[in-house]
This record gives sequence, structure tokens and C-alpha cells, in this order.
Amino acid sequence: MADDDPGAAERRARFEALAPELVEPLRRFLARRTDPVTADDVLGETLLVCWRRLDDVPPDAALPWAYGVARHCLANAQRSARRQGRVAARVATVDPPTQSSPGPGETQHGEERLHEALARLTDTEAELVRLWAWEQLTPSEIAGVMDLTPNAASIRLHRAREKLKEILRKDRPAAGHEESTEGRTP
Amino acid sequence: MNDDELQQRLRAIDPASDLTPADPDRVARLLEDTMNTDLTDTSAPGTPGTPEQESRNDGTRNRSPLTWLVAAAAVLIAGVGVFSLLGNDPERDDAPTAAPSASASVDPGSTAPSVTELGAPPPAAGRCMVPTAEALSTAQVAFSGTVQSVEAGVVTLVPDRFYTGEATELVEVRATPDELTALVGAVSFEEGRRYLVSATDGQVTVCGFSGPLSPNLEALYVEAFPG
Repeated sequence: MADDDPGAAERRARFEALAPELVEPLRRFLARRTDPVTADDVLGETLLVCWRRLDDVPPDAALPWAYGVARHCLANAQRSARRQGRVAARVATVDPPTQSSPGPGETQHGEERLHEALARLTDTEAELVRLWAWEQLTPSEIAGVMDLTPNAASIRLHRAREKLKEILRKDRPAAGHEESTEGRTP
Repeated sequence: MNDDELQQRLRAIDPASDLTPADPDRVARLLEDTMNTDLTDTSAPGTPGTPEQESRNDGTRNRSPLTWLVAAAAVLIAGVGVFSLLGNDPERDDAPTAAPSASASVDPGSTAPSVTELGAPPPAAGRCMVPTAEALSTAQVAFSGTVQSVEAGVVTLVPDRFYTGEATELVEVRATPDELTALVGAVSFEEGRRYLVSATDGQVTVCGFSGPLSPNLEALYVEAFPG
């Protein structure tokens, strides 16, 4: 009955036009922030919210909006995972889910330092940086995801980037200490 | 290091860089499943669903009769908490109250979602009163929301509309396992399903005041909380 309704059909058509564009970016978004199982769950949740709140999706900024939903759903999933004491398994926000095969020592070490530096940012700072570098959003799009004003997003992103650079700069091993630094790596 | 260099270095460690695209069939199925779920959440506040959507959600759609049998039985056993709640002095101090946590409410910019915490009514013997809008309107918290998870001691709902009470991003109903059994039975919380829930003195109302979303219950809520 509902399917005969022109409104319902029109709604389906709108979702069918919108959703396929969202799926791959959302999958990548989630793959960057959690384990594959949780990513799958949260993808389903996110699409469900998009479907139910289709009228709220801003036509010109659907993807940032959907990222915001996914971020919210992921936070919820992680909260309930924490409640069940599965912190370590499910709340991998920084570690890459698939570790690349060992490359040249130099590169590997640099990647590790970058991961460590990211981990030293606050959650919000790291998220701002990820949205900028990985999702490649503009500050105003990031504002949409994070529920900030564009101005605040811009300022906070700038600060987060500077902080990250500063950490990387300070951590850079001084010449001649290369070996001792390598030795620290577990 | 400038921003471009930083971005380049970060992109080199993008965990999703080697993510293969999803199987198109699987995506199609996922989208189809998504569109086949209840549409009741489409409502903007004030325009709850179209008649067509409501009729689809009316009654026993997609639910086994057993669910309703269990729910009905449990209402008889547990629903009575509300009677004692509505009929007795709300100040009685043995009531395990869990007031809506104003402290955990909206905090823009915070990463933790705001939560309203509710308790379950104590299982007790008594009778249910007929749900009326008048009685319902005394509830301090009333919202519609979808059950996100049912776990030991906690039912988490994602509210989509608050009829009354301070809006939060999540609502958690906490209860001892015994209370939860009674409550889950009475209200029959199921993951992914949408409910209308009200609470008095931090305790979820049963006895037909809270339950799966239905046109009748929704009408009751709309009547109890106009505007």
C-alpha cells in the first residue's frame, strides 16, 4: 500500500539516487576508524538513519552530513562496546586495520611516528585532521560533520595541524641518534 | 613542513587506501533492506508519519505472535509498577529513582553523546489504569526513539523526538536484571524497533503508557503533549 503511494515511491527514488554515492565514502570513513565488523554494522545503521531522515539531508552537502551521522553511530557503537569491555578490539581509531607489509625501514619508521603523533592529539583534533587529510573535506564541510561553525572548524583544524607538525618536529630524531631511536621501537 | 606535505604524509598512512570497493550486489541488498525498514522516523517533529506509513506499522507487522503474547503476559505481571507509581505518593523514598541526568545533557562540541538515564519501575503487584492522555501528560520525559541495543542491565534508545523533557541524544533505561526482564517483557524492547516511551520520576511507565510505536499510542502522545 505504501509502495503505491506516490510520496513513498518518490522517496525511494530520492534515496536510490543518493545512497549509492554515499556507500563507498562511508565505507572508507569507517574503515579508517574502526574494525571491519563494527564498520559493517555502523554502515547499516548510518544508511538507516539517512533513509529515515531523508528529508533532513542537505542537498548540497549530503556526504558531510552522512559522515556526521556515521560518526555519531560509530560513537554509539563504541560506547556499547566499551560497556561490554571490548575496548581494545573495537575502539581502534588510529591504528590502521590492515598493517602494510614491512617496507624500507625509513618509511616504516616515519609512518609509525605519524601514527604516534596522531595518537597524541585529542580525539577532536585527530578527527579534524583525519577529515581534512583522509576524507579531504573543506573546513566548512568539516564543520557540518563535527557540528561546529565553519569558523570554529577552520581555526581548530589549523591549530590541530600545527600541533601535529610540532609533535612531528620535536620527535624527529637528531642526526646521529638514528640507531638509538630505532632501538626504542618495540 | 607545510600543510600539503602534512596532508601527503597522512594520506600515505590512510588505512582505507587499499579498501576494495564493496560488491555491488551486496550494496544493492543493503540499500533495499534499508528502504524496507519502518519509515516512521521520516516524520519531522509535528508531522508524525503519513497515514500509509502508520498503517504499515500498525499492529503485528513483522512480529511473531509470541512477542505479543509475551508482552501481554508481562504487562499483567509488571505493568503494575505504574499503577503504584501513579497512585502512590511519588515522594516515597524506597522508589529506585533514576532522575533524568541533567548533568549529562547537551554539550555542543563534546564527543560524548548526551544521555537521559531512566530506571525501570519495580515489579510489583497491582492493576493497570487505562492509559489516558491526561495521565500521560504528567510524565516528565516522553519521547519516540529506536532501540539501539538491549544489553545486560541497559536498554539504549536513540530518540528522534521529545514530546516533553530535555532532549538528549541517547536514552538509557537502566535496571537490575529482574527489573529489566519485567520491563522488557512489558514494553518488549527489541533492537532496531521504534517505541514511544514516557517516564515519571525517572522511571519508565508501562501499563500501555510506553510501548512499540503504533498510531493509537502516537495519538495518545500527541494529545498529551500538544505542540
